[in-house]
Amino acid sequence: MSAAESANAIQRNQVDLLDFIDWSGVECLNQSSSHSLSNALKQGYREDEGLNLESDADEQLLIYIPFTQVIKLHSIVVMGSEEDGPKTVKLFANREHMGFSNVSDFPPSDTAVLSPDNLKGKPVVLKYVKFQNVRSLTIFIEDNQSGSEITKVQKIALYGSTVETTDMKGLKKIEDH
Amino acid sequence: MVLEATMICIDNSEWMRNGDYAPSRFQAQADAVNLICGAKTQSNPENTVGVLTMAGKGVRVLVTPTSDLGKILACMHGLEIGGEMNLAAGIQVAQLALKHRQNKKQQQRIIVFAGSPVMHDKKALEMIGKKLKKNSVALDIVNFGEDDEGKTEKLEALLAAVNNNDTSHIVHVPAGPTALSDVLISTPIFTGDGEGGSGFAASAAAAAAGGVSGFEFGVDPNLDPELALALRVSMEEERARQEAAAKQAAEEASKEEKGGEEQDATMTERASEGASEADNKKIEIADDDDTSLQQALAMSMDEPTSSQGLQDTEMSDAAAEDPELALALQLSVQDSTKDSSSQADVSKLLADQSFVSSILASLPGVDPNDPSVKEVLASMQNQSEPQQKQDEDKAPKKEEEK
Repeated sequence: MSAAESANAIQRNQVDLLDFIDWSGVECLNQSSSHSLSNALKQGYREDEGLNLESDADEQLLIYIPFTQVIKLHSIVVMGSEEDGPKTVKLFANREHMGFSNVSDFPPSDTAVLSPDNLKGKPVVLKYVKFQNVRSLTIFIEDNQSGSEITKVQKIALYGSTVETTDMKGLKKIEDH
Repeated sequence: MVLEATMICIDNSEWMRNGDYAPSRFQAQADAVNLICGAKTQSNPENTVGVLTMAGKGVRVLVTPTSDLGKILACMHGLEIGGEMNLAAGIQVAQLALKHRQNKKQQQRIIVFAGSPVMHDKKALEMIGKKLKKNSVALDIVNFGEDDEGKTEKLEALLAAVNNNDTSHIVHVPAGPTALSDVLISTPIFTGDGEGGSGFAASAAAAAAGGVSGFEFGVDPNLDPELALALRVSMEEERARQEAAAKQAAEEASKEEKGGEEQDATMTERASEGASEADNKKIEIADDDDTSLQQALAMSMDEPTSSQGLQDTEMSDAAAEDPELALALQLSVQDSTKDSSSQADVSKLLADQSFVSSILASLPGVDPNDPSVKEVLASMQNQSEPQQKQDEDKAPKKEEEK
């Protein structure tokens, strides 16, 4: 898929799924306490280049994101620096409470190997068919570009669409005759 | 009140037969485990605790994390001592047990009792520590018993590898007269990262700290909570009154610069606030500045001899140490009929300059040698004689009214 096509796909009817993230259930394993997940996910923080999500004990990160409603995931954007940014990213749909020990127990819904272009902001288009009915997403960052001890992620953005889209404004009261 | 799942790793190796912790290391450990389980389940009813043994034939999980205290205590019975402790395996099995906890919202914590020498090398322990940190498991280490070369170092290294934002702790308990459980009660292992211990831990701590001499008021809060509460409340009331008196004295000293109108109102409030029989005093306060200030001061300082008989036995213990406190105590048990007579007594007391200056000296920021203070004292003395007459006039009037 060319860059133009993926950019178009985003413009079509894919929205930034930031509004549908259930923040109370968001978890991140092995994050450094001073550089937490909010720096990469939250509006405003993720645009700031100085604020990164950093790993702690080693270079792996395990991020769990539940959603407030069922969504279809189209693509993701993972931004970071060229040396410390993530390389191999595995995505698991609808797996609750994973740990580092069971990431290899079942195959991921999709795997992305990030290129420097991706790290600059080019979205990674995913296997859409695998992400049709997603309640929660687990992102496993396995290693980083240079193999250093700490992985730094500047931004994570998810693009897709929601499954149930009832437009409440369209509901009208039935008038009595 | 953190929601937590805890696994306790017990050392039941041969080294636990030693009696340097009364009655034996193993028994001291068992007591400590019981206390911890109680504290954890009390601080949050949804907390779960599990127990495993590290020595013997191999690491064995006695009970998986549960909130049923009875089950936990029951499994501590009939444990056999023997073999060598396998710290690494113990911690790893504990981590596994926590991973499969039923309520995934609980924070994971492992408490390790390390009483025998540690066989593993520092590197291996650091790897384990890192793995725990990666999976956000907190670790508390109780270092007691054997202290061979390097054990403390290794355990400190393990703690450093695990510690994330001070959620993990290590406690070194040397052998001695104090029981292992008593030493642990005051540590963050019990108090839960400084959030303030549960009532269980707090009362247990009071018991431990008090020792033979008893609890804060000579009454066991567990045995008689109402009495303990009443005593504590009256103690606080007296302190509040004392402070009010201190404030009045300090303000009296600086009264000349300020001009006491505003102070009157506030002091009236303060004075009446403490006393339960406020009405009579209010009438008398309504007068002239100096007299009202004196009276307010007077009310909170009473001559010890005048109402000795009113002292309760419980309060006498606390009061004996501090004469000013004794005065305040008496005030709280005073009834209204005593007031008028005490006023006269107190005026005499005020006339005693040495007493007043000693009180003022104990107040922060008031220097009795300060000329303004001396002036006030002198003026008070002069007024105390006409004041006495005034009081005596009022006293019979009041008696007539009643």
